[in-house]
Order: sequence, then structure tokens, then C-alpha cells
Amino acid sequence: MDFASMEELLALCEATNKSIAEVMVARESSKSGRPEQEIVEGMKQRLVRMKEAIDQGVADRTLAPSGISGGDAYKLERYLEKGEQLTGQIVGDAMKFAFATSEMNARMGIIVATPTAGSAGILPGCLFSLHENQKYTFEHLVMALFTASAIGYVIANRAFISGAAGGCQAEVGSATAMAAAAIVETKQGTPRQAVHAAAIALKSMLGLVCDPVAGLVEVPCIKRNVLGSSLAFSAADIALAGIESQIPCDEVIGAMYEIGKKMPRAYRETALGGLAVTPTGSAVKERIMK
Amino acid sequence: MVYNSYFDIIGPIMVGPSSSHTAGVVTIGKFVHDFLGGGIESAEIVFYDSFSETHKGHGTDKAIVGGLLGLDTDDSRIRVALELAAKRDVRLAFECRGECPYYDHPNTLLVRAKTARDTAVIGGVSLGGGISKIFYVNEFAVDIPLNAPYDLNELRNKFWQKTRCEAVAGGA
Repeated sequence: MDFASMEELLALCEATNKSIAEVMVARESSKSGRPEQEIVEGMKQRLVRMKEAIDQGVADRTLAPSGISGGDAYKLERYLEKGEQLTGQIVGDAMKFAFATSEMNARMGIIVATPTAGSAGILPGCLFSLHENQKYTFEHLVMALFTASAIGYVIANRAFISGAAGGCQAEVGSATAMAAAAIVETKQGTPRQAVHAAAIALKSMLGLVCDPVAGLVEVPCIKRNVLGSSLAFSAADIALAGIESQIPCDEVIGAMYEIGKKMPRAYRETALGGLAVTPTGSAVKERIMK
Repeated sequence: MVYNSYFDIIGPIMVGPSSSHTAGVVTIGKFVHDFLGGGIESAEIVFYDSFSETHKGHGTDKAIVGGLLGLDTDDSRIRVALELAAKRDVRLAFECRGECPYYDHPNTLLVRAKTARDTAVIGGVSLGGGISKIFYVNEFAVDIPLNAPYDLNELRNKFWQKTRCEAVAGGA
């Protein structure tokens, strides 16, 4: 029981009448020879570490060692308390938790890579917002992580998930696609809808370059995580409405791979292009590397 | 298929800030540590390409040294790995170069590490998401994924005993 494409994954879901998450649990169990319960328990440990990073991150107002990030989760929380945010409670909280996780990452705190550290804010941000606002339990969230991991597994093996290899589209793009699919399955959408949500999310990230100021996973990475969590909910809503991606998800991943392969080295995490070489980006680098 | 399981996608649990520039590098360093059986007294580290451009900001230097000292990816002492190495009198030298001539990937490094009796020259690549691979051991091109089980004794027999005496030059 394994799959190398979204089409194969969906065929498995349909043949076994299982969700993407259930297929992933069964795959892990058969591959490792360990009981399903143990597989689920392993994922739960990761979920708990995500929650710890969020709790620390929301409370921590300190700056990262670089001085260019930190304290924004706290600031956003103060704003959300007024209840006047335009994006609503669910996206508001997702953004706050994404800030919290990514800021902890910049402080060299302990986080869970989903699929990378640079994109670690998006998935926990989305899932813990569902937990806070719609009373989904940790058990639901664990299954959502399996949905996300199945999507990430296909993307990682067909294309790439790191900024150095394929630009930010590969990193924040993959994470956003994973989160969108996870939200759809949590909301009882079909596997097909989940895969369409992933395709819709990833399409909107195609071409995004990896251009971190001073090479740090802070600017623009943290805010791209925050915006990614917001976009994941939009993509999930579109898919849950029954709207489909005209380009199949596997082909979107193929396009992402093609774009990443042709992306100049300056835009693949080398900090030699884009925002990294703006006057402000260059000045920050000079100050930090001094 | 490089990525084998959900552990490779949802994980690792790790000290930030970068899975490829921090966690994946810890794993490579840890392999060198395990291969030599610990007790590393000095190490020369060559960063290539993306690593050479951005290693400072990502703590890649702390990550490789943390691994060489035997730390795991989620060990918070990685933050102070350089101080830890100094305390243990481990001599370190870093060098930055352009594209790696031995392996086609932006996140590559080469370590020449010495213990009291042995030297190993090991090349590693961090593929993203914390997944790493060893592509070079003591003059041999190899392909050892670090997210799958491997037999250290077998590797030592294959790539070490033969070159044990003359493994000083390396490929760097």
C-alpha cells in the first residue's frame, strides 16, 4: 500500500473507502510493521511539541538574536482581543499561532518541521485555530497531520520542499498546500476536495522565490508563514464549496518542479537576490554580519 | 523516493531555525561522530554553495559542530555548540567555497574529522526538511540516506579499514 502521486492516493482512498489520513496511517503501519496505534501515538507526540512552541511563542515578546523578528505574535494577540479583525476569528488565530511558531523557530527554539523549519508555522497555526474555535480535539488534529503528511510526502518525492532546492514555492507553498488539505479533511470534506485544496493553494504560490534577508529564516519567511495560514483557509473554503482546480494537483506539482529547476541560484536561499539585496535588506545583512 | 514516512514530512522535532541548514546538518555531524565512535579532537569543515552563503544566519556552524559532538536535532545545547566544543578543546576550522564539485546540490558540506587515532573524510548533503544523505566517505562515493536504518559496522568495514592508514588526504 503506497502511492507516488495524488491520483494514486485518491485511487487508494476510493478503493478502501478511507480518508487520506486513514490511508496514510495504514501505509505507515504496513511499511514499518508497527501497529496503527503506535503510528498515531508517534504523531501525537509531534502535535504536543507544536503546541508547546505555540504557547511559548505567544507569550514571548523578546526579539530573535538578529533583532529583526520577534514580538509580533504578542502584538497580533493584543489586536485580536479587540475583536475587530477583518479576517475573522479563525484566520486571526491561525495567523497568531503561525507567528508564534515561526518566531520561536527564529529564536532557535524547539519546533516541528512541517515540512521544513522555515515553513513550520503554517500547519500548526491552522490546526490549533480549528482546535480553539471549532472544538476539534487533539485526536482530530493528529489525523489532520496525517492528511498533511500524505500531501507533503507526494510533493517531496515528486518535486522539492526546501527553499534552497526550489525556492519558497517549494517550502511555504508545500506547507500551505498541506495545511489546506488538512483543513478540508478535518471539516469532513472528501479526499478529492482535499487534493483540490492542495492544488489551489500551491498554484497561488508558484514562482515564489526564497530571498531571506541576511540568509536568516526571518524576513520575509515569518510573515509568509502567517499569510500562508490565511491562504490555506481560503483554499480550503474554495474546495469545500465544490470548486475544483482546473489543473490536476500532480500537474501543479510538476509545474512547481519545473519552475524551481529553472529558478536562478540567487533566488534559492542564497540571500543573493530579491528582498535580501534591497537597500534595507543589504543594510540589515551588513549590521548583522559585522 | 527520498522521503519515506510521515516522520520525514512532519518532523523532525528540532532546534530552529532551518531544517536543511540546521537539523539536516546536525544529522550529518552526528553520522561523522558515530562513524568515528565519538571522541573527535579536531574537524575541518568545508561549506559549499548555499551553506557557504548563509551558514552564519542559520547556525549551520553550530549545527555541524553539535552533531560532531554527538547531539541530536532537538538538543537545545546546539545553540551553544561552539562554546561546548571550545570547552572540550575540539579544534575547528571552517572554509567556504562555491558549488560542490562532488555532489550536485546547493546544501553540501565536507568534514575532515580526527580522533586520537583515526581520520575520516565525510561528505554530506542536506536535502530539505531535515533529511540528509552521506555521499562521500574516505575516498569512496557512497549513497547513505540518514533517514533509513544503516549498519555502522558494515560501513566501517567497507569504507574505513581499507583506508584507515592513508585516509589523510581526502577529496577536499
